[in-house]
Amino acid sequence: MEEVEKTTAGTSLWSDAWKRLRRNKLAFVSLCFLAFMVVAVIAGPSIIFWTTGFTYESTPTDRALVRAFPPSLLHPMGTDDQGRDMLARVLQGGRVSLMVGIISTIVSLIVGVSYGAIAGYLGGKIDNIMMRIVDVIYAIPYILIVIVLLSVFGGASTPAWIKWLSTNIGGAQNQGLSQLFLLFFALGLVSWLTMARVVRGQILSLKNQDFVMAARATGVGTFGIIFRHLIPNALGPVVVYATLTIPSVMLTEAFLSFLGLGVQAPYASWGSLADIGIKNLAIYPWQLIFPGVTMALTLFALNFVGDGLRDALDPQTRKF
Amino acid sequence: MIKALLRGYRIALTALIAVGLLSSCSTSADSRYFGKTEPPAENILRYISGPEPEILDPQISDGQPEARIYMALFEGLVEYGPKDQQPIPALAKRWEISSKVDEFVFHLRDDAKWSDGKPITARDFVYSYRRGFDPKTISRTAQLGFFVKYSEAFKSGGVFVKKGDSYLLEKDFGATEHERAPQLGPETEHNKFMRSASRLVLDGDEKKRAKALAADPKLAEAVNGAELVPVKAEDIGVEAIDDRSVRITLRQSAPFFLGLLAHQFFRLVPEHVVEKHGKNWTRPQNIVTNGAFKVKEHRPYDALILEKDPNYWDAANVGLDGIHFYPIEELSTIMNLYKAGSIDAMLNHVVPSSWIGEIRQYKDEYLDFPEIALAYYSMNTQKAPFNDIKVRKAFIAGLDREALSSFRKITQPLYAISPTGTFPDYDKARDRVSEELRKEQGVAPEEWAKKGRFDRELAHKLLGEAGFPVVKKGDGWECPTFPTDTISITYNTNENNRAVAEFIQAQWKQNLGITVPLKTMEFKAFLPYMKGLEYSGFSQFLWSGDYMDPYSFLSLMYGPSNEGATGYYDPKFDKMLDEANSELDPIKRYDTLARAEFYLLDQAPVVPLTVNATNWLKKPYLKGMYPNPGTLIPWKFVYIERDPAKWDRDVSNIMTTPDARVDKHLADLVSSNSK
Amino acid sequence: MIPMALLVVSLTWGLIRIAPGNFYSTERKLPAAVEATIRAKYGLDDPWYKQYATMMSNVVRGDFGDSLKYQGQTVNEIIWRHLPYSATIGILAYLFALIVGLGAGTYAALKQNSILDFGPMSLAMFGLSIPNFVLAPVLVMIFAFWLYALPPARWGGFSSLILPVITLGAIYAAYIARLTRAGMLEVLRSDFIRTARAKGLNDRTVLLRHAFRGGILPVISFTGPALAALLAGTVVVEKVYALPGLGDIFIKAVLNRDEPLVLGIVAFLSILIMAFNLIVDISYGFLDPRIRYE
Repeated sequence: MEEVEKTTAGTSLWSDAWKRLRRNKLAFVSLCFLAFMVVAVIAGPSIIFWTTGFTYESTPTDRALVRAFPPSLLHPMGTDDQGRDMLARVLQGGRVSLMVGIISTIVSLIVGVSYGAIAGYLGGKIDNIMMRIVDVIYAIPYILIVIVLLSVFGGASTPAWIKWLSTNIGGAQNQGLSQLFLLFFALGLVSWLTMARVVRGQILSLKNQDFVMAARATGVGTFGIIFRHLIPNALGPVVVYATLTIPSVMLTEAFLSFLGLGVQAPYASWGSLADIGIKNLAIYPWQLIFPGVTMALTLFALNFVGDGLRDALDPQTRKF
Repeated sequence: MIKALLRGYRIALTALIAVGLLSSCSTSADSRYFGKTEPPAENILRYISGPEPEILDPQISDGQPEARIYMALFEGLVEYGPKDQQPIPALAKRWEISSKVDEFVFHLRDDAKWSDGKPITARDFVYSYRRGFDPKTISRTAQLGFFVKYSEAFKSGGVFVKKGDSYLLEKDFGATEHERAPQLGPETEHNKFMRSASRLVLDGDEKKRAKALAADPKLAEAVNGAELVPVKAEDIGVEAIDDRSVRITLRQSAPFFLGLLAHQFFRLVPEHVVEKHGKNWTRPQNIVTNGAFKVKEHRPYDALILEKDPNYWDAANVGLDGIHFYPIEELSTIMNLYKAGSIDAMLNHVVPSSWIGEIRQYKDEYLDFPEIALAYYSMNTQKAPFNDIKVRKAFIAGLDREALSSFRKITQPLYAISPTGTFPDYDKARDRVSEELRKEQGVAPEEWAKKGRFDRELAHKLLGEAGFPVVKKGDGWECPTFPTDTISITYNTNENNRAVAEFIQAQWKQNLGITVPLKTMEFKAFLPYMKGLEYSGFSQFLWSGDYMDPYSFLSLMYGPSNEGATGYYDPKFDKMLDEANSELDPIKRYDTLARAEFYLLDQAPVVPLTVNATNWLKKPYLKGMYPNPGTLIPWKFVYIERDPAKWDRDVSNIMTTPDARVDKHLADLVSSNSK
Repeated sequence: MIPMALLVVSLTWGLIRIAPGNFYSTERKLPAAVEATIRAKYGLDDPWYKQYATMMSNVVRGDFGDSLKYQGQTVNEIIWRHLPYSATIGILAYLFALIVGLGAGTYAALKQNSILDFGPMSLAMFGLSIPNFVLAPVLVMIFAFWLYALPPARWGGFSSLILPVITLGAIYAAYIARLTRAGMLEVLRSDFIRTARAKGLNDRTVLLRHAFRGGILPVISFTGPALAALLAGTVVVEKVYALPGLGDIFIKAVLNRDEPLVLGIVAFLSILIMAFNLIVDISYGFLDPRIRYE
């Protein structure tokens, strides 16, 4: 029975890919690192709280401790200017940054890929109109979109579903977190545009190839051709681009935090921590090094996994 | 493959460790100066002035960065003194002030010229002031000058009420007439009008006027059938007695008014150029100025290049050949340019707080002096629970401001409404009045000293009385009934504001068991939220004084729609301020002001936080430049000293260290007023 | 293209009007009369459709009027004055990115899975993983204060451009390297390359005449928006290096609610983006024989 399952499973695209991915040690190690990071940012803050009592926002009661301390056994990553434990802040910041990156990327994958594929495949006038819509949205300054979203939906008039999200996923009902979810929404709203363009480019070059003709000849519908035949073949660049979207969204979030439109203090994100750290670089280097290294390693791993996935998902993979 | 992976990590780690090493190198500075310290090749000052100036019209914009540029380009009757910011003679070489400080006559110098060579006369002043108060001029600072008689009426498009041959008077409708001091200078028609009893002014807008009339039947009766005469430019209290004398008449006594005359709003604009070029008059090819420097080139967002103006009346004593103002806002960039020796000095509040420890060791360069600028948290006194004075006082008592200022490193804790340390005479008055009040209330001195200070027990007691009991929880406190979900600490986005807000949030959490959520907003969204009293709880409030007098701060809470953003208005407090300003003896005036201040403090509309410090750097070869309380530098005193032996040493004494050149220049100027 | 730009301008106008705050508010309360004067002068009390019509009729004529913040300067003047700064930095940064990115990406694709693949790619990932607001101060620290080789900030001469160009170009170089590698791998496996090889063409010809042209397709589609964004300036680089480019001016215009300036820059940018995208679409056909337009 087990044997049978294995063989049937082996023929599907995904389990095949999984096998190949596991063989790619670099990607696999990166995947393990990412899994570790995810567990760390989810469980880490609680563990730190149980063992030492530090949270991302707890300032020491002793006035003499309210300053930046270099790394020590008690504070493995040192403290920030307010004497708060950097490790707890880095982990909490990781929660925000990873969520920002992943949610926006999922949006960009779902919306961007289908949009780009449909436009590219249908072609002609429809393609033209669809891509011009992308152009229009692209040209509207996203800062303005974020400002308006925050002012219209922020504060008392926050829609119920955003409150629900912040209560149930963020873990607390609070203005700062609501703003964070608005931010996910705003970033998701703009992050799919480039993806749509990339996918459309791929589909344009694929749609006249023989396998599409063959599929069409055997009576597969438009929907089927796009989602069963074209998109899987275009997955390589899509996956690569998706792994590029995560860092770029994280950086956008950092920039918005810098303008005061991002994460609300005392919450942090890797971007906002690095922004503070870089200002203190000459005096308290650990404030940049730890969030910076954690963020860089995570993005590194994301990129390697992206590459591995690309190779694994490519139906034509073979040694060149 | 693993090797490759490790290699990638190694690259990353090496780079980051390199950064760490680099930074540790730079902290162990062993040289006397911060970075490269060589006087510039040319005799030109390179200065960071903050954001790009909006416009080079002194009567329009209200920002400090522009104000500093105007001090090089435009001059008024008086100028800020380099050290104490008290008025010194400028275009007026001497003046007379009436015994009640309600009338001034200024005598102009004969040799003053515009940068295009045209002589400056009293008519230029009349033109400039009328333009500033004209409702068509979009001036953001005109309200500072509303002490000038009928200027407010003119600016707001008001009307006089004429019945038959005479006008209705204010005093007949409940206002007290200001009793004028004996006349200064010759009698003229205009002066007679100014000295006559104040006319009644009604709103020029028909709807608003109808509303006011409906509320006052006696007034409506009197106005019925009368002719409404719009207030004209000629009606304001400014007059050219002759080519060389200007008379200014105020509506009431204003002892600080002379200091206000150095403000950018009262600097001259050239009539012949403004009228010719209209809104384009400030373009580099059109602009005509009257300060020690004139515009040579303007590259917006890059540099504003000024050169010495040979037509300036005091050109012989101007120390620099030119000034380059660079508009840069990014603090670390400014610090980098300073360190690289590309600039010589910078505006205030530049050194980031985490750098202070290191920068303080550069004793010849770092300027850390008290400012007329402070920080409050306004409380919205119109929304629960902060409409309860006990809650307000509890939050004030629950905040350790000593801890806050030691955390900020560059500020002093503030326990009053106006700054401490910048007005020495007023500080003395405050101590006197405090002692009087203590005796009146019969409180022991040690008890009195604790008033307004950090006092956790008192805070808990007050909160309990207000219906929000604080209970012990573990090591800390808890106040479960306090509605934290509806309030917040609102601040506009800025690194320093964020640090302060986080610190205060943590303090209240530790001391009161109340976690007030933080809310940061970009500036333009923050302004209506704060000023429109939409916030609930606390709002960041930063204020710098417009003139060297505590009134510049106390008047924040003056009048029903005041600047304070607290919703607080108290006619009793207003009355105390009016009384103080009609007081002519400066010591008695300060005493009365201090009483008003203590009264206001007891009403607790704001949480006083800190008094700011100047916090900037200048190269030691730059002389004649002082950290005065508003960082308003009269540029003509500044010069570059090329002999290292004469460079500034230990600038903490800079205010008292004699500088022969500056001192003589200053003495010569001031002596012209006593001649 | 023009109707598109007008649509963008209209949507942006709507967003500015919804955003809280106005251009004339400062810390200081304005006297009611002054505020009324301002509102009358700019017609802010007119019905919205009338204000919209006035704005549109000006925009259609290409006249955005005066900046509200920088009074006495026209929007067109500001854009044309600061565009050259942004364009110089942007084009240089993109050239830098293209040279480094295409080189590294192609090389890595040819040596797939070898150390010569992972080396450049790790470096590219490193470039992608460092935010430019972190990279810039680090570069300044090394080159301006450690080596005393380059100025730390401000516009002035070629040496002042090196650090901004590297800072700005790094992330694009990394993007391009990765996109090139992916695209090249895709193409190198496709049938027409195999055919070309089967015909006995040598590797260099295959690479340059056939594979490269198809392989850089993803790069091309990325180039349109990237170049437009680069020409518009990049806020962080302009801030850190104190350069008078359009990006920082634009962000400030949004934060100041300087409506004419925002609309002017948005209109200019949207035309730029669309023009670039059009060029990109056309160049697709030339570069990839597989694409045919119906």
